[in-house]
Amino acid sequence: MKSPAFSYYEAKDLADAINVKKTDDDAVILAGGQSLLPTLNMRLSNPSVLIDISEIKELREIKIEDGFLCIGAMSSHSKVMNNKDVNEVLPILCKILSQVAHPAIRNKGTHGGSVAYGDPAAELPAFAVLVDAQIVLSGFSGERIVSAKEFYKGLFETSINSDEILTSVKYPINQNNKQLFFDEITRRHGDYAMAGLVGSIVQKNKINEEINFVFFGTGDKPNEAPKTCEYLLNNEYNYTDIKDILKTDIEFASDISSSSDMKAHLSAILVGRMMKELN
Amino acid sequence: MSYSNKVIISMVINNENYDDLTVETRQHLGDFLRDLGFKGTHLGCEQGACGACNVLVDGESVRSCLMLAVQANGKNITTVEGLETSEMEIVKDCFVKNNAMQCGFCSSGMLMTTYEIIKSKRKYSREEIREMISGNYCRCTGYQAIVDAVEDSLNKINVGM
Ligand SMILES: Cc1cc2nc3c(=O)[nH]c(=O)nc-3n(C[C@H](O)[C@H](O)[C@H](O)COP(=O)(O)OP(=O)(O)OC[C@H]3O[C@@H](n4cnc5c(N)ncnc54)[C@H](O)[C@@H]3O)c2cc1C
Ligand code: FES
Ligand code: FES
Repeated sequence: MKSPAFSYYEAKDLADAINVKKTDDDAVILAGGQSLLPTLNMRLSNPSVLIDISEIKELREIKIEDGFLCIGAMSSHSKVMNNKDVNEVLPILCKILSQVAHPAIRNKGTHGGSVAYGDPAAELPAFAVLVDAQIVLSGFSGERIVSAKEFYKGLFETSINSDEILTSVKYPINQNNKQLFFDEITRRHGDYAMAGLVGSIVQKNKINEEINFVFFGTGDKPNEAPKTCEYLLNNEYNYTDIKDILKTDIEFASDISSSSDMKAHLSAILVGRMMKELN
Repeated sequence: MSYSNKVIISMVINNENYDDLTVETRQHLGDFLRDLGFKGTHLGCEQGACGACNVLVDGESVRSCLMLAVQANGKNITTVEGLETSEMEIVKDCFVKNNAMQCGFCSSGMLMTTYEIIKSKRKYSREEIREMISGNYCRCTGYQAIVDAVEDSLNKINVGM
């Protein structure tokens, strides 16, 4: 199918983009277009104007500042993956991005777009929640920072206001010897995961002191699993128990790839793989 | 606020200037290129899944169905018709010799992805080649021959040796 008619506006700078967004409720931000344009081609939405923010230079910066890795919203997945600083201070992010879609899509798709869109099956929102990244939003009345744990409200629902643009994502680095993990199960390399897991573990003398998991592709948003993590602090991994406890943590939602029970099964498998990798 | 649904754009396609063309803002780059006669750019799904529509924009592969023609204003586009570097001539030869194309529908997209592989100037295992071309569907070859062709190309071009 072909997309419906809309007009196009190339924003000169951030203030310009916010201004247009503020004056038109049906205006939509166009970042890399790798999620937006498929939905337009399928005629799932009908925007008045697309505000292209790709020429706003300040949104493309990647830098380390005050203990944070700051990634500008318009940095493409490819740019982030191949960035020297990212590879040095947060190599797990490069590993994650290598599983996000395919080369041609990574060349256009953006970091900010992925975090702002909040697809429950996407890797980056889950990782942002795991490390409680700071999400920087700019709107008509100025800038504010929302913690990733507060950012995702529900299915494709975030705390971005209609006049706001996500400008950067700030990841804390050097987190108290936290080991970070990432794993997912997909049908084809680069596809959205049937289920995926990012986790962090702090160990002292081989004893697990702190465990955190965030699942993706499992529910309506990145799913934390506090009871499962608590259980694993005091017990050995055991597939049946973990699957049962996961079901009390997460309301698994089926999709075209798998039933909710299948999602619980895959999530329990992923936890098992992660605990094994640790030992 | 009202804006026009048509704009005038210019770009370079396969080293030739195309200036002051009127385009509907909703038209994607793939349709725009095909309307201009570059029929080597194929459209399969128009949702980003199949990769048949890949072209190079400023030397990077992109899905032409997921980029608006107006976004290509001022950019340098290469379609399969313009993939004429000496390295890509070798790649095309390897595709033919290894029977890596049958109906040819996926081939232009496969060549664009192979361009990315060659460009990165490093070695690839067969598994890594499969990962790189995972974003390109082929309904004919079963992929084996395509992996052969890419491997053969890498060997002939001596990448990362
Ligand atoms: C075939 C295919 C496979 C894919 N596989 C994966 C995958 O495995 N994992 C994965 O995570 N992603 C995947 N993606 C999606 C890809 O990563 C997208 O690039 C990403 O989700 C959205 O980024 P974008 O820059 O393309 O955003 P766009 O498509 O331009 O925008 C998406 C939405 O977010 C809004 N938005 C974008 N940027 C901002 C901003 N800065 N501030 C406020 N709002 C904003 C837009 O208005 C729009 O509503 C896939 C895409 C395709 C086509
Ligand atoms: S037509 Fe563009 S990816 Fe299928
Ligand atoms: S050769 Fe026919 S689709 Fe690949």
